[in-house]
Amino acid sequence: MERHFEQELQKLNKRILKMGNLVYDQIHNSLEALLTCNIELAQQVVGKDNKVDKLDVKIDKLCQRIFALTQPVATDLRLIMSALKMNNDLERLGDLAVNISTKVEGVSDYQEILTDLHVDELANMADLIVKDVITILNTRNTTFVRDIFSSANAIEEKVQAVSSRILDEMMHKTEVIVVATNLMIILTQIDRIAGYSTNIAESIVFIVEGKMIKHKNPFKHIDGAEINPGHENPVEDSGNSGI
Amino acid sequence: MKEIKIKTRDLSLYYGAKMALNSISLDIPEKEVTAFIGPSGCGKSTFLRTLNRMNDLIPSVRITGEVLVDSLNIYDKQIDVVNLRKKVGMVFQKSNPFAKSIFENVAYGPRINGINKKTTLEEIVEKSLKKAFIWEEVKDRLHDSAMGLSGGQQQRMCIARTLAVEPEIILMDEPASALDPISTAKIEELIFELKKNYTIVIVTHNMQQAARVSDLTAFFYLGELIEFGKTKKIFTTPDKKHTEEYITGRFG
Repeated sequence: MERHFEQELQKLNKRILKMGNLVYDQIHNSLEALLTCNIELAQQVVGKDNKVDKLDVKIDKLCQRIFALTQPVATDLRLIMSALKMNNDLERLGDLAVNISTKVEGVSDYQEILTDLHVDELANMADLIVKDVITILNTRNTTFVRDIFSSANAIEEKVQAVSSRILDEMMHKTEVIVVATNLMIILTQIDRIAGYSTNIAESIVFIVEGKMIKHKNPFKHIDGAEINPGHENPVEDSGNSGI
Repeated sequence: MKEIKIKTRDLSLYYGAKMALNSISLDIPEKEVTAFIGPSGCGKSTFLRTLNRMNDLIPSVRITGEVLVDSLNIYDKQIDVVNLRKKVGMVFQKSNPFAKSIFENVAYGPRINGINKKTTLEEIVEKSLKKAFIWEEVKDRLHDSAMGLSGGQQQRMCIARTLAVEPEIILMDEPASALDPISTAKIEELIFELKKNYTIVIVTHNMQQAARVSDLTAFFYLGELIEFGKTKKIFTTPDKKHTEEYITGRFG
């Protein structure tokens, strides 16, 4: 006999995954709109944001109901706590897609600048990190969490490098200030996409392994050795100090 | 780090030929609440009763291993069981007031321990009822029958009766299972206060109660200790799959 509680958890899992896929589509379309200067597609992204918002509220309410009625513990508690946080992170990712989309028109006449700055590479990296983290959300295979952190680091470095180039241009060519400002805003959104993706990866590690790895990148090099989430880890918290 | 108040070593208990507890080794720290959880028949109440030799009253029971209270093996022949039970008091699932007044119920233990001076007994009764958070409710009817109290009040009076003989350890076997939510909350608050001065061991079927009141939780299954650790760890990230399945209700 399947318990009612199990059905509620399955419903929560399904909704979070639906949210993940919806948000990935939003991110993907906003980046495609940026690279192809497709203003119509950008407007579609903005228009679809209310779907993300509605699902966000639905997931919050479901979590609230499960907390109130079932007093979950252990793996169930971790799942529902993490679902709330991931829902928040996914909703913010949706907002980033909207932010990028609203800037498409402002840069659409400067395609050559985008090409020159290799914004397409950054966009592809941002697209891939969200796609990968949604895959991990679906499979709960934490082996690939390391890749999310590596990709986030790579995106952060590239954003910094491109931002420096844009600032240089702005200092020398006043005529590019408007497009450069729009580009800087877009780069900030891409950097945040990486940040929210790592947040979601951290939540998945918490669900699966019960380890809190947030606030510190557990995959950075320590004395030349990389640390795995499943191994002894100086920054992890096994969940027994926070409750 | 708290001192260890009760230590069991390879403690096994048999009802005739049937093994009910299998080699339990457990350290219970002083002035903390330790909860025993597990399905019916897992041995948690049997184990609780070994801690003040309540199982001695059952003829077919045989015990091997050790139970050390303050480093003394309570199953040594020299141990005075009456003194042991004074030191290790017990509160049962169903409140069991004597058909006497509230005052006489609480004064009963001190009286049989030789205290007869009225003023001393009055002091003990007042102090014990205050510690059990029931003084305000009964102070004006101390000489009324205890049978007239509500279930929750009777249970707190029984706790006061246990406290009157100044135990160091209090064993509680499902102390709130027959009580309504308000009375249960009062018992839980009381446990929280009592642990400042007493070592408390509680058996409960109520997972949320174990999570709320205890510092440490031991999970028993089929007479074995499956997992023992800090309650906050057991209820968030238990190490054993069996524990996880039990506390999340996926057992069996």
